[in-house]
Amino acid sequence: MAALQHFDDNPCRPRHFKPPPCAPIVPEGPARQALEACRSRLFFTSILFACVFAVVALRIVEVVVLEGGSAQSHMPRFRIPAPPVPARADIVDRNGKLLAATLDSPSLYANPKQILDAADAARKLVQAFPSLKSDEVYAKLTSEKSFVYIKRHLTPREQYEANQLGIPGLQFQHEERRVYPDGTLTSHVVGYTGIDNSGFAGIERGLGDTLKDRQGSLQLSLDLRIQYVLREELQRVIDDFTAKGAAGLIMDVNTGEVLAMVSLPDFDPNHPGATDPDHPGLSLADRMFNRNTLGVYELGSIFKIFTVAMALDYGTSTLTSTYDATHPINIGRFTIGDYHGKHRVLSVPEILMYSSNIGAAKMAMAAGGQRQREFLSRLGLLKAPKIEVSEIGSPHFPAKWRDVNVMTIAFGHGISVTPLSFASAAAALVNGGILRQATLLKQPPGDAPSGQRVISPTTSEKMRKLMRLVVEHGTGTQAAAPGYLVGGKTGTADKVSGRHYAEMKLLSSFVGVFPINDPKYLILTMVDEPHPNKQSHGYATAGWTVAPVTSRVIQRIAPLLGVEPVDESSPEIQRELAVESLQGKKIEAY
Amino acid sequence: MIRVGTLFWFVLVSATAFAMFGVKYQVQALDDELARTKRVTAAEEHETRVLDAEWAYLTRPEMLETMNHQFLSLAPISTKQLRTTVADIPMRPALPAPPPPTENITVVAAADSTSPTGTPSAPEGVPTTMATPIPITTPTELPPTQSALRAMPALLEKSAAAPQVVKAVPVKAVAKPATPRRAKSLDDLISQIMASR
Repeated sequence: MAALQHFDDNPCRPRHFKPPPCAPIVPEGPARQALEACRSRLFFTSILFACVFAVVALRIVEVVVLEGGSAQSHMPRFRIPAPPVPARADIVDRNGKLLAATLDSPSLYANPKQILDAADAARKLVQAFPSLKSDEVYAKLTSEKSFVYIKRHLTPREQYEANQLGIPGLQFQHEERRVYPDGTLTSHVVGYTGIDNSGFAGIERGLGDTLKDRQGSLQLSLDLRIQYVLREELQRVIDDFTAKGAAGLIMDVNTGEVLAMVSLPDFDPNHPGATDPDHPGLSLADRMFNRNTLGVYELGSIFKIFTVAMALDYGTSTLTSTYDATHPINIGRFTIGDYHGKHRVLSVPEILMYSSNIGAAKMAMAAGGQRQREFLSRLGLLKAPKIEVSEIGSPHFPAKWRDVNVMTIAFGHGISVTPLSFASAAAALVNGGILRQATLLKQPPGDAPSGQRVISPTTSEKMRKLMRLVVEHGTGTQAAAPGYLVGGKTGTADKVSGRHYAEMKLLSSFVGVFPINDPKYLILTMVDEPHPNKQSHGYATAGWTVAPVTSRVIQRIAPLLGVEPVDESSPEIQRELAVESLQGKKIEAY
Repeated sequence: MIRVGTLFWFVLVSATAFAMFGVKYQVQALDDELARTKRVTAAEEHETRVLDAEWAYLTRPEMLETMNHQFLSLAPISTKQLRTTVADIPMRPALPAPPPPTENITVVAAADSTSPTGTPSAPEGVPTTMATPIPITTPTELPPTQSALRAMPALLEKSAAAPQVVKAVPVKAVAKPATPRRAKSLDDLISQIMASR
């Protein structure tokens, strides 16, 4: 009422202007009281709000001006998440040395719509990554797209540098890449992967699913140090004899574990498609070919150990049996002769020692084709080997086992097997007669996989003595490694070229076992088309090429494997390895 | 009475609200902490993976062999070296004199203070004697390190193998001229250096 009066009393008020009532005119009474209460409540509320706003304002001042300490605590929720756990397990050797690892290798991409200054960004990027071209980067950054790759698969250092540039609009895309720190060294065993990390060769392919599902690394039976020694020595023999290639493997005869597997020429799994700068002429297929598991070869005379073992195990020959090797055998259009024949009657140990083809053929004929086939089949030589890598070669052998086949197979021609199958079978001959499947995975110590008996322990013992004889007096004298009691057998095969054998193209191989009195390791080496050199006096046979390799490799790896050297001339060892039938006789040198 | 009740409820509600928000923020902070720890762990693991790969790359046999040729020239152990058993290695000759203080035997090359003449400090005028290798004396007067080093070539010669090892390790260390004593002045130092040439 008072307000209304106040307007009415204003003398300057224009006549036509009637001020709107600014508050309802409330008469005295309970309504008025309610209004008053309302006002006081509003007053208190506004004070409360004023306090809250004051607190907020103070907080703002604190955050902005005084940089409140806890201002950053909620930031991380908006950051980029950490790279996820790699999708593929690592591969390590038997000592835990890394052979293959999956590393995060982000790709750098840009969203050109977010780039503020393309020219400056391009200049900075080219400065950080000299491999990029300035105009190309500029064209990318000014394109109409919203996603352009700047650089794929950065290294951690490159990622750091890209981050340091601080250009808005640049982002990283999470990508993974398989890395092989040892490069060519384990290329054929470990294999390699493609762009999407799927296995293309070796273990990567053979055990691809296992690697994907696995937590923790996959441990192979391979020993990187031994692998290195073997590779180096094989490379040396290739260089010395200008050979086409070489292969070698080292196996634990009691467990079937493969400690080293080398096939040369090889490739770099980090850049599988790249050409070898040292050998630009070699094709990719040639270098990726695993001679140990995929290649099948007529291995030649090293097969004679199977012929002798068969004859001894079936009892068709004894160590005292003799066969006339005076004249070559003529069968059909073939003539079977000896390389450096003795041209006399030879006993069984002598046949192996001097590597007589005639003698081996006659021994096999005495046993018969059926037994021979059955024996080779029992040793697993007539079927493809089983191992973890994906490259497996099937053996070639005659469908019809005729007499001529029996004779040639006796000395390793007319049957092609993979070196891996051969090594497994040869290990069974010396380890007491148990055939175990070769494996590239580390077996728990003291837990030898159960094998299958293929020959009697007595035959195995005789084979050990005979193989020792070959190295002591026969064709393999250059394989001797003093103190390590090497036993073995040489093999020099003529390679098949077209429909007949090429005399000048050889495949020299050597199977060695040490220590032969208690076999632990088997080493099989093979060199493809070696050419004679001056040091070898014009020979390119196994005795001059791979036998010395075996000797050198054994001398280098035996200390690593913990094999103690022994005194070879000690009477106990002489007695242990003596062949009774040769006792007291003067052994003629090869 | 009603006012007291309202006040009670008001206090209760605000207390619960504060408590609730407090707990909520605590949980959020812990969540953040957890996420951060997880992320840091993952980043560290990733770092470890990278370093592992780098280590594997840097210690690959090829690299080790190169470094061996460059710095150590070690040769593979030959059979002859392994032929000797522990029993074949002769015992160290008994030392009648007590070993000198350890500080003097730490570096063989600088061990001139323990020179057999027993002079604690060399006279200034004759620095030439300091430049000569360790003088020939009876082994009993040498500190253990020296006697071991001097005995080592003989030990290795006995096995007559790995000539590189024999060459590399002990001979170099012993043949290195002993560093002259600390010079009293710069001129002194220069004269020492000149004399040692």
